[in-house]
Amino acid sequence: MPENTTPTRASWWQKLTDWTPQLVLLPTLFAAAIYVVLFSLWTLWISVSQSTLLPNMAYGGFGEYAALWQSKRWTVAYQNLFLFGTLYVLGSLFVGTLLAILIDQRVKFEAMWRTIFLYPLAISFIVTGTVWRWIFHPQTGVEKALNDVGWLSAQFDWITDRDMALYVVVFTGIWHASGFAMALILAGLRSVDGDLVKAAQIDGASMPRIYRRVVLPTIWPIFVAVTVVLLQFAIKTYDLVVALTQGGPGVATTVPAIVVYDLMFERGQIAQGAAAAVMILVGLAIVLIPYVLWTGWRARKEGQNHG
Amino acid sequence: MKNSKTHLMGASVVAMVAVATTAAAEPRTNMMHQWAQGSEAAAIATLGEMYEAAGGIWEQTAISGHTSNTLAKLRSDVVAGIAPAAVQLKGPEIAEWDSIGATANLDELAAAEGWDDVVAPELTSVMKPAGSWVAAPMNIHRVNWLYSSPAILDELGLDIPVTWDDFNAACDAIQAAGYVCLAHGAADWSDATTFDSVVYGMDADLYRAAFQEADVDAMRSQGMIDSFAQLRRMVGYMDDGINGRSWEQSMTMTMTGEAAFFMMGDWTVASANLAGFEEGVDYNCNQTPVNWGGNGFILNSDSVVFFNQTDPDYIEGQQLLASTIMSPEFQVVFNVAKGSIPARTDVDLSVGGFTQCQQQGLVDLTASVEEGTLVRSMAHNMTVLQKYRGAMMEVITEFVADDSITPEEAAEQLAEAVELQD
Amino acid sequence: MAEATHEAFDPLATGSRRRQIRAKATVYGLLLFFALLYLSPLFIIVMNTFRPLEEIVREGFISVPGLLSSQYWLEAWSGFCLGGTCEGVSPYFTNTLLMTVPATILSTAFGVVNGYALSKWRFKYDTWVFGLITLGVFLPAQMTLLPWAFVLGKLGLANTIGGLVLVHTVQGVSFTTLFCRNYFVAVPDDLIKAARIDGAGFWRIFRRIILPLSPPILIVCVIWQFTGIWNEFLYGTVLTSGTNQPITSAIVAFSGSGTGQRHYNVEAAAVIFAALPPLFIYLIGGKYFVRGLTSGAVK
Repeated sequence: MPENTTPTRASWWQKLTDWTPQLVLLPTLFAAAIYVVLFSLWTLWISVSQSTLLPNMAYGGFGEYAALWQSKRWTVAYQNLFLFGTLYVLGSLFVGTLLAILIDQRVKFEAMWRTIFLYPLAISFIVTGTVWRWIFHPQTGVEKALNDVGWLSAQFDWITDRDMALYVVVFTGIWHASGFAMALILAGLRSVDGDLVKAAQIDGASMPRIYRRVVLPTIWPIFVAVTVVLLQFAIKTYDLVVALTQGGPGVATTVPAIVVYDLMFERGQIAQGAAAAVMILVGLAIVLIPYVLWTGWRARKEGQNHG
Repeated sequence: MKNSKTHLMGASVVAMVAVATTAAAEPRTNMMHQWAQGSEAAAIATLGEMYEAAGGIWEQTAISGHTSNTLAKLRSDVVAGIAPAAVQLKGPEIAEWDSIGATANLDELAAAEGWDDVVAPELTSVMKPAGSWVAAPMNIHRVNWLYSSPAILDELGLDIPVTWDDFNAACDAIQAAGYVCLAHGAADWSDATTFDSVVYGMDADLYRAAFQEADVDAMRSQGMIDSFAQLRRMVGYMDDGINGRSWEQSMTMTMTGEAAFFMMGDWTVASANLAGFEEGVDYNCNQTPVNWGGNGFILNSDSVVFFNQTDPDYIEGQQLLASTIMSPEFQVVFNVAKGSIPARTDVDLSVGGFTQCQQQGLVDLTASVEEGTLVRSMAHNMTVLQKYRGAMMEVITEFVADDSITPEEAAEQLAEAVELQD
Repeated sequence: MAEATHEAFDPLATGSRRRQIRAKATVYGLLLFFALLYLSPLFIIVMNTFRPLEEIVREGFISVPGLLSSQYWLEAWSGFCLGGTCEGVSPYFTNTLLMTVPATILSTAFGVVNGYALSKWRFKYDTWVFGLITLGVFLPAQMTLLPWAFVLGKLGLANTIGGLVLVHTVQGVSFTTLFCRNYFVAVPDDLIKAARIDGAGFWRIFRRIILPLSPPILIVCVIWQFTGIWNEFLYGTVLTSGTNQPITSAIVAFSGSGTGQRHYNVEAAAVIFAALPPLFIYLIGGKYFVRGLTSGAVK
């Protein structure tokens, strides 16, 4: 609360009014300070502490980081995150763009198509993973169905193949998220000036070429925004993998969030789990810092343009 | 002066009230466990009924999904300052929680009821990690059971394999006849369950050194390499669908004559009987192969650990719960339902509904104790700390999943994974 | 305005007749292909809620159904047993509802006011405040579980729905503030300036100018929060237990590691119950969701 040395009623009231924006932010700021700052600092400290079964604040050094990076499971998980993250984001963008362009062709029943492609976003990762596991598993899903109708040599066992299982996770992730990309990109397409397209068409360009060269480049900020939202999903991916493959076969589809959870909770290695969580945060920073710098740069540039 | 006197009086009044409340304490408990469903949930429900019949107020917290969820819940409750009164917890974890002083002492009750005389001696060291009773054992599970399909074995004229060579020979014949030899559902714990039996059957001393004492030299030994080679061979005897298959599905494969063998602990017996499969008709149970002749028993045990409480109702309730768990009546009902055998040695298995497999389990346990071959299960968290176990299971499950890893590499990885944890 | 421009242009109605037909066939063919792919899981799961268990086990999930029965729906809703309580998913459904609705409302309300304050009332360090709040969007849940357990324990909210409401509100405010701030940035500052010259204060401007402009972004926040909180799994599982758990935990428990046969048909019906409310919200609000998102939420 702001201090006022000679409080007349009016000036006190005035002061309070001036401070209203800060005051309404106070509860959120307080919560965020605890949730973001304190929790992160706590995790950071725990990662160099002697914690095992329960948090223990005594300093223990950086040994847990070394042990973490020597464990095969963690290195596989970290690599998986980068591979999965890249394919998941690119795949969702690609499918989303394709669907958006298709719908943009003034098709009939537009609302219906849009709803069909968007509904997976409403389904939890747990449910998504469970259902697709049923479909992908050779004994219950597509392979069995094909075998049962007489195509005995049909084989579709990616989910049980350690080299292909990660792509099953990618596919399922794309199924879940591409509708989101589609919706945003479609709205972006709708905001593009139709005259631009017409002009290009008069020049004799084909439709795919017009989209590639004229339309999509104008809505690139949307692609960036979608990418950031999807990346934050990718880095947090946990439920989907647990329900779909449980990280298997072997450790083939393990992701960092699973390792953090197992270390912290199942194995009673809270310090190492915290170290893994810190590494996830580092991964996040790698993605976010360029984005933040970029938005700042863009805002400044826009400011200049307007000014 | 006067002030301190009133204080004193006040204190004694509080003390009296406290005593009064203790005397009138209503024993109540909240038991945390991971048996949310199926025959296990039914078994735990009987505990609740008996507890209520004994005058307690019963509440339970069934935790969903994986063991890690139970442990996560337990840790977060302890951190939140609401440690559960009773938790289903196993092996070395009892010692860990005991060592940080989180557990309640049951010595008085144990002495009054003579637990030391009736609990199987292999379990007392686990239940009394630092010399005091802090946990009550509910059962003894046998991990090294080999279930076989009489239909397939009869058709091919095969005997139950006694050694691993027998097993391999039988599998070659079974595969040649077009059947799946070994039903399996891959997961870290089930892969490790199979490997428990393999290492133990190859060399029981190696098993003790590697899996009970986490001796890295034993993990690098030729015996371990041979064990991995045997496991590799057995992966070849499984079908392609092992990933993502549950253990119950694998069990059904053997019970319905789709696969010849299935290796799993005795909880299979409970599941199979519940699903309507008949012992001696749909399946036979024998010990998994051992190369050294004689009786073997890999032991696993479920137990309930009691955490320190402040509420007198819950403290009282812990005594009642421990007493109920240790009662012969409960041990019979619970274990008949769960496929295991009682943790008390003074229970007669010929009455009460125990199956032949269960009765055989007790016979083999006794024989194994006499022969000095009894071991505790690594796969089921009865030996080393979770961090070692987790690291070892990772190597084993990777080995099952990845054909390109050689037995030599796997043995080296196993040792390295354990060394990394220190 | 953009829509109007767009109306005048129909890419499928250009070029030669044959080319038009070929283009149309390609567009609808692709749409149909993707629609089938997207709908297949939904179809498979709904179909299997009606099939007897032995048929599913025998024939897998993808096959022509034989006997159909609706009893599994009833069993899923109010029949199956979990941890000694045999009431199906209904009590957990109620828990989730009691958790999701307040958390959605609270986080949206805070988010709107925060977004307004951060976008229209410049003050020192406002970008830092905004940055700090939005960082919360990215914290992995695994990391915050133990601290939350500690905090909830201190507040006496351990193992309560109220505790989960707090957790989801604090976490959700990060999202809603981000969305709303980005949305309100697009509101012309001149409007606010004019109102301030007229003597309107913070709340008056909020009521008169900001709120009337807010429905699109409110819908975005509500849908995003509702589905996110409804579908959340980890917090519910670790921070509550037994009959206080949300429906996602119950589903996992039911399909989880228990012994005995898995009741796929009941499981499938339970899954549908768990998925219905967010689906419903998307069906009625999806159109506005997209509109709101693109009008600024994720820029």
